[in-house]
Amino acid sequence: MNAIQTTKLTKYYGKSKGIVDVDMTVTEGEIYGFIGPNGAGKSTTIRTLLGLIHATSGSATIFGKDITTSGPEIREEVGYLPSEVFYYDDMRVIDLLKYSASFYKKDHKAIEQRIKRLAEMFDLDLKKKIDDLSYGNKKKVGIIQGLAHEPRLIILDEPTGGLDPLIQQQFFNLLKEENAKGATILFSSHILSEVQRLCDRVAIIKDGSIIKVEQIKTLLENSTKRFKLQLVNTPDPSAFAVDGVSDLAILDHSVSFLYRGRVNDITKMLVTQDLTDLLVEEPDLEEIFMHYYQKEDEQ
Amino acid sequence: MNVFFRELNAYRKSTIIWCASLAAILVVFMALYPAFTTDVAATRQVLAQFPAAMRNALNISLANFFTIYGFYGYLLGFAALAGAIQAMNVGNGIISKEVSGKTADFLLSKPMTRVRVMSAKLAAALAIIIITNVVFSGVSYLAALMVAPEKFAAGTLLLLASTMFLVQLVFLALGALFAVLIPKVKSVVSVSLPTVFTLYIIGTLGDVLGNDNVRYLSPFKFFDTNYIIRNVSLEGKFLVIEAAIIVVAIAASYVIYVKKDVRASA
Amino acid sequence: MNIYLRELKAHRTGLIWWCVGMVVLVASGMAKFAGFQSAGASVQDMMAGLPKAMLTVFGMTGFDLTKASGFYGVLFLYIGLMAAVHAALLGAHLISKEERDRTSEFLYAKPVSRSSALTSKLLAGLTMVLILNVVTLLSSFYFVNLVGKGESVGADIRVLMEGLFFLQLIFFAIGAMIAGVVKKPKAAPSIATSIMFVAFLVSYLVNLSENLDALKYLSPFKYFDAATLMAAGRLDTMYVVLSVVIVVLAVAGTYRFYSARDLVV
Repeated sequence: MNAIQTTKLTKYYGKSKGIVDVDMTVTEGEIYGFIGPNGAGKSTTIRTLLGLIHATSGSATIFGKDITTSGPEIREEVGYLPSEVFYYDDMRVIDLLKYSASFYKKDHKAIEQRIKRLAEMFDLDLKKKIDDLSYGNKKKVGIIQGLAHEPRLIILDEPTGGLDPLIQQQFFNLLKEENAKGATILFSSHILSEVQRLCDRVAIIKDGSIIKVEQIKTLLENSTKRFKLQLVNTPDPSAFAVDGVSDLAILDHSVSFLYRGRVNDITKMLVTQDLTDLLVEEPDLEEIFMHYYQKEDEQ
Repeated sequence: MNVFFRELNAYRKSTIIWCASLAAILVVFMALYPAFTTDVAATRQVLAQFPAAMRNALNISLANFFTIYGFYGYLLGFAALAGAIQAMNVGNGIISKEVSGKTADFLLSKPMTRVRVMSAKLAAALAIIIITNVVFSGVSYLAALMVAPEKFAAGTLLLLASTMFLVQLVFLALGALFAVLIPKVKSVVSVSLPTVFTLYIIGTLGDVLGNDNVRYLSPFKFFDTNYIIRNVSLEGKFLVIEAAIIVVAIAASYVIYVKKDVRASA
Repeated sequence: MNIYLRELKAHRTGLIWWCVGMVVLVASGMAKFAGFQSAGASVQDMMAGLPKAMLTVFGMTGFDLTKASGFYGVLFLYIGLMAAVHAALLGAHLISKEERDRTSEFLYAKPVSRSSALTSKLLAGLTMVLILNVVTLLSSFYFVNLVGKGESVGADIRVLMEGLFFLQLIFFAIGAMIAGVVKKPKAAPSIATSIMFVAFLVSYLVNLSENLDALKYLSPFKYFDAATLMAAGRLDTMYVVLSVVIVVLAVAGTYRFYSARDLVV
């Protein structure tokens, strides 16, 4: 069954576009990445799924249940870590986490044990007052309140902001553990390296619409390679007008381009040039996505 | 100067609403003046029979009460209540908004001393109060012209109106003091309302129930209508007390503001 | 239940301060009466000769000021004012604080519907309003008896407290509804108290001039006017019904608007 299924989900804030006709399918058990520039609609989609805001049109189900009618029921199985974390300043961490646990029907004792275990893992002092916590520590509270009840669906909105690299690593390990146990993860981010590390599939969202959904594996496999050349003579641009070449940049004697296609075809062309240096790189997801953004602009 | 103008702008809408509200209170009450003064002679006779002590307790001056001055003085009681709320809101909010709005780190790391920041904000708050009072006095005068059958001295009326300004000054200073004393002010109104109402009730109750000492406790009672009407001046003693309170409150605010740790957010 | 308990805990100190303040108000008011008594004389007779407008100006219409209960009636106006401020602020805060403090993304992502969260919050508010009412009742009873020299005041105080409770409910519900409707959480308490303040002014205006009598329906302070209540010995049914209607409409409005709108983040 699908963990999340949206059908033409649309949200307008007055006249301005939040998300438009978003069709998204997240299968149970996968780690689904959600990528896009600021203001693309990632948070809007997530908030709509959670019922914090109401869709203008369209529909969505989580675990087969309609989000407009079965909100609380759905949220028994959902853990949410928002991008900006705010909690009740007058409470201590443990009080807040217990308060969070009290909302779920699951066995509270079990949840509390998990809370203690996770707090140890993340080195979070349970006795401290929320008010006295640094931003990063508040994020840790966010992680624990989102995961302590072992939800079937974990929704993360820009989760790693404020976390130091060590904690980030532990966080990802934890997520992978949960996923191995069968949890579905929706992971929204603009930090592509993280998405690269964690996700199975990724959806690119821009200006309120999903541009593309792709398997990470496919993206990396079919990826373009970046070629950087140094030539003896001034390069002739027409030589590089080959199928599959893009992002061509020529400066003095240097040439740089992305190539997608059969390697043999491009090396046949390179052989015709007088090269002093040649560098072939795997571009990271960043470069690929930048192109997706640009391509859409050009269209 | 930038901080000053920014604050003026930020409070623009609120100031307009307050000015309009105070003007509305004025107009509505003043419109009742004609009805209030029916059968003045008979009432005066009855009042004359009250023991003097009682009349003093109730703050009724036979000469003044049925004049436009007396009536205006009475309605000032209400208007001052509203004005005090506005003043304390501004005094408190203008300082505490940086913490509650999370802009404290932004503003206080600029190349501007905290003293200058405080001064600019207090100046803006003062300007807001002055603007409000100009409107208030103007509307008071016009309304009085329209409803009072008798001639009256503009000077006395305006002196009465000035008590609004004086009350607001005190609450402005109190608001600022509370802002620096209370670490996180999430709701300015929750601080202003109880304070203003408490001081108002202390003042009014004490007035009606015949306790003179209350005058020292409640800013609303620093300036007595009858005294102003009689002497066309404000009581020096209370001017001094008021000035003292304001100076102490503002000075303390400066000192605390400069010395305290800046909270990044509420 | 968890939300209910949490709200009670969060507002605990505030409530204590308000209760203390109320006790002080009643105590000092009645202490004044003890002093006033020595002035003596037939105040009642003299008051009878004055025009209504004048008495209104001092909030003394319809009271026998020689009696402790009469005095308390005058005091009641201020008690009502304080209680109304408390109720309006409480109603507005309970609902708007999640959005004001940005904890709504925590709370409403939990398996709780907006309606059930509202119910818990409203019940917590109701509890606190009731507590303030009871504290006022007890302290009024105590202090009025203390200075009352044996006169029987129970019935008078009881009927006034009943009226007070309805007054509190009205402003609590209005405060909650404003917060439920308005999209600026910081503005909600101000708007709610402005409405209350206008109602207070209107009640004064109505007292001041016969022509404005029709306006009395606009001010809940007039529904439960101390003088009228003590004279009648019971609440006016029409006003009770009107109050209930207002409260029901406001509460229903709160549920409807709060559930239907987007939460401010």
